[in-house]
Amino acid sequence: MIAFQLKRSSRDLVGHTVLILFPLALIFFFDYLYKNVNIETGMGMGGQSPITALVIGFALTFQIYGSAISFETLAEDLYSPMHDRIFSSPVEMRSIILSILVSSTLVSFLQTAILLVFSSIILGASFPSLPFVLLVLLVSVVFNQLFGTVLLLLTGGVKTANMVTTIYGSIVPMTVGLYFPLPKGEFFRLLRMYGSPMSLANTASLAVMEGQIRLFIICLAVLLLLIAVLFFCLQPLIRRISI
Amino acid sequence: MLLQVDEVIKRFGSTLALDCCSMQVEEGEVIGLLGPNGAGKTTCIRSIIGLIPIDEGSITVFSQKQDGKNREIRRNIGYVTQEITIYEQMSGRDNLAFFASLYGMDKLSIANRIEEVAQIIGLEGRLDDKPKHYSGGMKRRLNIGCALIHSPRLIIMDEPTVGIDPQSRSFILRFVKQLARDGSTIIYTSHYIEEVEAVASRIYIMDNGHMIAQGTLPELIARIQGDHFIEVEVRIASEEKKLQLQQLPDVKEVALEGNRYRIVVPGGIPVLDKIVLILSEQGLVTINTKQPNLEDVFLTLTGKQLRDEVQS
Ligand SMILES: Nc1ncnc2c1ncn2[C@@H]1O[C@H](COP(=O)(O)OP(=O)(O)O)[C@@H](O)[C@H]1O
Ligand SMILES: [Mg+2]
Repeated sequence: MIAFQLKRSSRDLVGHTVLILFPLALIFFFDYLYKNVNIETGMGMGGQSPITALVIGFALTFQIYGSAISFETLAEDLYSPMHDRIFSSPVEMRSIILSILVSSTLVSFLQTAILLVFSSIILGASFPSLPFVLLVLLVSVVFNQLFGTVLLLLTGGVKTANMVTTIYGSIVPMTVGLYFPLPKGEFFRLLRMYGSPMSLANTASLAVMEGQIRLFIICLAVLLLLIAVLFFCLQPLIRRISI
Repeated sequence: MLLQVDEVIKRFGSTLALDCCSMQVEEGEVIGLLGPNGAGKTTCIRSIIGLIPIDEGSITVFSQKQDGKNREIRRNIGYVTQEITIYEQMSGRDNLAFFASLYGMDKLSIANRIEEVAQIIGLEGRLDDKPKHYSGGMKRRLNIGCALIHSPRLIIMDEPTVGIDPQSRSFILRFVKQLARDGSTIIYTSHYIEEVEAVASRIYIMDNGHMIAQGTLPELIARIQGDHFIEVEVRIASEEKKLQLQQLPDVKEVALEGNRYRIVVPGGIPVLDKIVLILSEQGLVTINTKQPNLEDVFLTLTGKQLRDEVQS
């Protein structure tokens, strides 16, 4: 079933292109800005070059938009006549949701990975401790996809889920300092580093590149905890829509 | 008894979708479920499969109680939905394999069964194309194929031929008849009388959530045997004249279809002269009295004409 769902997700070529090319263009644009127009990036990137911080930041941002891969696919099956067709069979609601979740997670992670590869080839970004960075990005994808699914089941419609995701995906990157520097001060430093799931993933990635293992582990652990919470929220939601 | 629906009541808010609905199906039967739009056919089917809870009554499928949780029942039903429920962006083969996987079939039996089903639905050469490149009729055929893939004991088809060309329709009717000859039990829902007449071994007529009659075609026709059917074709028909005809004391039902009035009168009562009198100004073209068919049964029992409903 996962093979089918993977194949199904892969058919959305326009979606994939947008989710890869658009962040790439933005990274290119901001990188140009930082290099030529003496602007500072808002991210606390330690010793990393701006381009590396930008790639991580935009990869994480577009993972949020990429959560639509799971909830739009899911909505096609749950909120349409397809629902009756699928559940006239003995299959469990849980299996359908999980198979879509797993395949969407793989697809979204692949987009992130491709973004990293492209930006290192084209823009010369470098990623120390790459396997650990990828691990953080994978955990972040799982969080976002799960979040999208919970959101859909909670709101019961793709429209609301899309709206919430769009708003969330526009505001959260700002709190990480992706688009412009945040004001100085302890509050904004904490907001930038730990204020949202995206900040946690961002901090964890930068930390592991800097060799700050403790910070890396703490942020990753909190992210995993959030995933567990979402997963537990999923159970009653699934029960609610199955009969 | 393969299926027993017992005095089922189902409400959607204030809508009474099933009103004391009862139905029995024996193994090997092809049941035609005939009723106008909104009669409750789809609701009846969804209740049988356990997709919606019922308010009152009981449903037994394969001798097991349908409580909505019974996976054994679902495993043995093939459901052709009224809407086309296939993945347009996935090939025909992918679709068949996906639906097969929902029933826990293994890879080898899926591969073998896909070839068989492709033959039944006449899509052998097109399995690797995507349904978005199919004609409407081919999509409908794949929609049916996906419900046959796991060789179900009971096949339920909800208006499987809506909106397709006559060739595709007659192809579908032919293979439904073949499935019946091979021993499948089928519930075939339609608001097309000819289809039900062509495939069904027994017919249920449904209206307003209730089964108002059931029987084989000859049995149903025998129920209204006492009636005569007069068909009058005129040059210019009007609703007003239809009302006048309905007001005649001995006329049971009148329907207007194009320029043709179809009038039901009790046998042995001479009303033809009165009818002719009313319609004479409209320019009589032909007058026929004829043997009743299923359409007349429907008209007599419901006072409705199915064709009118189709257009609305
Ligand atoms: N999910 C639903 N919510 C509210 N009303 C419904 C629902 N499904 C069906 N109905 C109503 O129940 C009646 C029977 O509908 P349906 O079973 O679809 O009829 P048919 O399949 O014979 O056209 C109609 O009046 C329809 O509007
Ligand atoms: Mg219907």
